[in-house]
Amino acid sequence: MNRRTFIRCVGCGAAAAAAQSGLLPEFLGGVQNAMAFDYTKKLSSVEARHYKKKPDGGIECGICPRHCFVTDLERGYCGVRENRDDTYYTLVYGLSCAVNIDPIEKKPLFHFYPGTTAFSIATAGCNVNCKFCQNWEISQVRPEQVDNLDLPPKALVDVCRQRKVPTIAYTYSEPVIFYEYMYDTAELGHRSGVKSVMITGGYIEKQPLAELLPHLDAVKVDLKAIREAYYRDVVGGELQPVLDRLIQMKESGVWLELVYLVVPTLNDTEQEFRDLARWVKTYLGADTPLHFSRFFPQYLLKNLPPTPQRTLETAHSVCRAEGLEYVYLGNLRGHPSESTYCPGCGKIVVGRRGYTIYEYNLKGNLCRFCEKHIPGLF
Amino acid sequence: MSKVAVVKWAEPGVEDGLTSEQYSAMLAAGFEAFGKPDFLAKMLRRNRPDSIEKGLFSTPDSRADVVGIKTNCLTRRNATPIALAKALARALTGSGFDENNIIIWDRTCWELAQADYKINVSFSGTRCFGTDANGVGYSEEFYGSGPVNSLVSRILTEIVSHSINLPVLKDHWLAGVSAGMKNMYGAIHNPNKYHDNNCTPFCGHINHLEPVRDRHRLTIMDAVNVQYNGGPGYKGQYLSFYGGLIISEDPVACDRIGVEVVEHLRRRNRMPPLQAAGRPAKHIDAAAELGLGESNLEKIDLRVVDVDGTGSVSEGELLG
Ligand code: SF4
Repeated sequence: MNRRTFIRCVGCGAAAAAAQSGLLPEFLGGVQNAMAFDYTKKLSSVEARHYKKKPDGGIECGICPRHCFVTDLERGYCGVRENRDDTYYTLVYGLSCAVNIDPIEKKPLFHFYPGTTAFSIATAGCNVNCKFCQNWEISQVRPEQVDNLDLPPKALVDVCRQRKVPTIAYTYSEPVIFYEYMYDTAELGHRSGVKSVMITGGYIEKQPLAELLPHLDAVKVDLKAIREAYYRDVVGGELQPVLDRLIQMKESGVWLELVYLVVPTLNDTEQEFRDLARWVKTYLGADTPLHFSRFFPQYLLKNLPPTPQRTLETAHSVCRAEGLEYVYLGNLRGHPSESTYCPGCGKIVVGRRGYTIYEYNLKGNLCRFCEKHIPGLF
Repeated sequence: MSKVAVVKWAEPGVEDGLTSEQYSAMLAAGFEAFGKPDFLAKMLRRNRPDSIEKGLFSTPDSRADVVGIKTNCLTRRNATPIALAKALARALTGSGFDENNIIIWDRTCWELAQADYKINVSFSGTRCFGTDANGVGYSEEFYGSGPVNSLVSRILTEIVSHSINLPVLKDHWLAGVSAGMKNMYGAIHNPNKYHDNNCTPFCGHINHLEPVRDRHRLTIMDAVNVQYNGGPGYKGQYLSFYGGLIISEDPVACDRIGVEVVEHLRRRNRMPPLQAAGRPAKHIDAAAELGLGESNLEKIDLRVVDVDGTGSVSEGELLG
């Protein structure tokens, strides 16, 4: 029996049954519109960077410390890079699945042109799997499972210029996994007077980062914990490479801020806050902004309560006592620790409520009251 | 003891693949090897979930089983043969199941279509579509077993009452073999998160997800032409004729026998064992440790039979 006969055979009859059937309405109502489209054609096929072909077949990706070994027709852990006949492709080049114009404070970047906006984009995929992810609907899926907007680097830079948005933020999911798209956009942006900031977990290899940094104006790193076990059990990654990259970023001179999401019972002890402060002070400097952010139950951690305000305040006071100069509390709207205080005179130099700047007392980088230098790009 | 039947086509001249009638004869012999010709019907009815509420064409007073046939259409030229899917669908209708309640499926419509399956989302006949078909998609809730959690195809969570797995046996660069359990990577939304450490214990974790485990009834693994090296992508130079179907209710035991076949073909073609090639199929023992089945060869009740063109059946050899 040939194929056509088979189709006819299995497809015959049942019209009467169909007419009187109680179909799964929500299911069949949509299925009848299904099409066998080639989803790979809806994704990009731009050759990836930083990978090696293995002598016996397969490739090794060198973008992030996972170093995925990927064979023909398979994808790396992030789900957005695919081996096709031992050429490695990024499937998300120029394909944004989230696009917004956000206040720069939302990233959060507090020492980077306060009060400006950032054209914020993301693609699907991520190279870790944080159990608390707020954006899992884009970060933990494959690119064919989301709606993508065709927004290649030039179009992205052009739209920023047209709308007078000074900065592009690569954010929401994990820009490391859309490295090529970010790199080309940032490079083109610089040539066109548009800045770029990367909002990342910092889980990236040394060489790709070294090549990328000259095209970035600021980086915000989610340092998720100061314990390796937390990275293993809650994040699905490793701490040490992130710490190494933070030092590399600081040494490069790029503007750097940190966020630490405080998750009740998992990374919220005073000792962890103290260890964190000491590490930041030693390796990045006391003037590196550190934001503690409030956790809300999400994704795979719906069983935990939101972070109590007093835990965040403890984190703040421990880090200030250890000598960190710019410690902020996030997701606590209206809290005094949203503002920037001059370490010289103690007065507010940038007053914030949520994403709104209500007071601004800087002349360039200098405190208007005591002329102390406040680090950052203002 | 877990039972596995291996049915081998005993006549030459089928290197390009078997017809659906030949597969039908093999399935019949396989089901008989389980002790009864009506094995399929009895097995599915025995495992009927208590909570069947809706078949594709059920009415309030006639509740129906829906059987999902999970293919592997990752590669066009080494996909689950249409002839096999057809033979199984025919075996099901012959056992009293309504053809309207049979779904041949895989991850995407496109993968099915590129393997020459005809997408059928009409109101009649055996349906054929991917999880990406409009209106299907993945479960709203996450299912977990191990550190990674996943959304599972609604075909498994909401539509079918029984799942029959129709994988293609082949070598796999990471897992050692891609057999039945590996085929269920195509049932979740994030298979890329399950490849570390030679897919161990992650392959077991996927098969341990509640909808995958609870709906699984039978694996019928195509091992007619087996790619013993360079998989899962198609590499024709490594295809070798074995001529078999490997059938079991136990997904672990079925894959264990699959490993024996791949190792046999590797030996025959002067390739090193999977262990020496750096990809031991250790995910199979790990799956057994999760309680999914039997990986110890000594505890597997293996029956091998040969079938010829007249339909007559004789004792066969696994590695003959
Ligand atoms: S970027 Fe993606 S493919 Fe590359 S090593 Fe990281 S997770 Fe793997």
